[in-house]
Amino acid sequence: MGRLDLEHLSLAYAQRSGAFLALADIDLSIRDGEFVTIVGPSGCGKSTLLMLIAALLAPTSGSVRLDGRLVTAPGSDRALVFQDFALLPWRTVLANVELGLELKGIPAQKRNAIAREHVAMVGLGAFERSYPHQLSGGMRQRVGIARALAVEPEVLLMDEPFGALDAQIRQVMGSELLRIWERGRKTILFVTHDIDEAIYLADRTIVMSASPGRIIADIPVTLQRPRPLDIRNDPAFTAYRQRIWDLLQREVMASNSWEQPQRAAVS
Amino acid sequence: MSVPDISAVTQAPVGSGSSRASLASHRFARAVVGFMAVALFLIAWQIVGGNEIIRSDLISYPSEVVETLFQMSASGELGSNLVVSLQEFIQGFLPAIAVGIAAGTAFALSRRLHYLFEPLIVALNTSPIIAFVPIVVVWFGVGTQSKAIMVFLAAVIPIVINTMTGITQVHESWIRACRAFGASKSQVILKAILPGALPSVMVGVRLAVGRAVVGLIAAEMYVSVRGIGRLIQVYSTSERAAEIFVLVAVVASFGFVLVTLLRRIEGAIAPWSLEP
Repeated sequence: MGRLDLEHLSLAYAQRSGAFLALADIDLSIRDGEFVTIVGPSGCGKSTLLMLIAALLAPTSGSVRLDGRLVTAPGSDRALVFQDFALLPWRTVLANVELGLELKGIPAQKRNAIAREHVAMVGLGAFERSYPHQLSGGMRQRVGIARALAVEPEVLLMDEPFGALDAQIRQVMGSELLRIWERGRKTILFVTHDIDEAIYLADRTIVMSASPGRIIADIPVTLQRPRPLDIRNDPAFTAYRQRIWDLLQREVMASNSWEQPQRAAVS
Repeated sequence: MSVPDISAVTQAPVGSGSSRASLASHRFARAVVGFMAVALFLIAWQIVGGNEIIRSDLISYPSEVVETLFQMSASGELGSNLVVSLQEFIQGFLPAIAVGIAAGTAFALSRRLHYLFEPLIVALNTSPIIAFVPIVVVWFGVGTQSKAIMVFLAAVIPIVINTMTGITQVHESWIRACRAFGASKSQVILKAILPGALPSVMVGVRLAVGRAVVGLIAAEMYVSVRGIGRLIQVYSTSERAAEIFVLVAVVASFGFVLVTLLRRIEGAIAPWSLEP
């Protein structure tokens, strides 16, 4: 199961000028198997929100619950995929995918089998023995996704995972992610600043505002599945795009006014 | 969860065959140039020394040096003293690696230890290690022990410093990846920090070889019963250039072979660090 409940979640940083509120009173429930994207301007705390769910950061107030249990420490029931891939350069593709299994104490033979399965799943079967520096950006993030899925998490937390890739690869990776998700239907929380990406992937898109980061819209995306890449030209899709853009535009305008609020250190 | 079979979008890996071939030919050209430079030098030396253009008892010449090498090997003089020096080297160098990595890790991870030991490390690193020979001999005697201590002192400092450097250069993302899976502090050190620091540690070990050889030979020359440095000292008082050249060549070869070996090891255990 992978039901996620965020209740009154807030995070404040101490600053010389006083406390800076990065996230204010976030309430959000995500059903098991739901694909939720979070879109918002940079500095709105959307990545910070993922770090709170991963428990790599502790909230100032409020709680994170996974299937009803209070989340207090990092663990492999929530797996992260990072924008910078965060692969270990001295490990081969296979050994990178084994990392989480190793830390869980899974015996060598079993983790090798699991890792190989997941490397094959992301289409890198021929690159098991390659090192990250020998791979393209898209291939590296496939390793990142395989590494996260290998530990069989309840929730997959993806922090702008395709942000470092160029536009074409980015779309291809999105559609591949959907195909992988359709088979296993794991709960996914996916952070992005790309509106199209947010709509294309999601069952639900959360729109956030900056300073302090809070949820300003929760939009169910009812487009057909599976989704072809050219669904982006569909009138229903462009309507979503317009609606989210209107919401964000107001936010960006507001945050660029003469009374510009300070931005969070973590975007 | 079920594991779907998804074919990859074809993306060629970085680094093609042709660039590897040009790298190999570049290496070959480098080796040829290096060999020719050495050959020219040896020929010139042979002509100048062999024809007494400069007195050969001062500068000797290659064929005499080679002849002397064979004589010293055959008599067992070279072998028996080399074994002593090697033993002293190993007895000092292996502990220096272990202590250097452990201390460097501790200093890099603990601010208190860092503050406590930093002045000592800086002082030892900037002072000529040879200055310690007399006091080490007073403390540990004229035998192999004082030489091993000198090797240790000379080698441990670059290993400590490079281990610290390596750890401070460990990427935050490697630690974050481990922590996200719930890694404990010691797991983070074992899985992210130490392997990430390894290339820099290996640089330290390679630097330490040169320093340790200097420390060892200097200590043996100062006072000892056996060892290569002892032989150099003996032959220098009797003005025997050929023997001294043989011994210097042996010491230089030892350093060269060991550093080459360490580079190979580095290539095998940390191939990622050799890439840009």
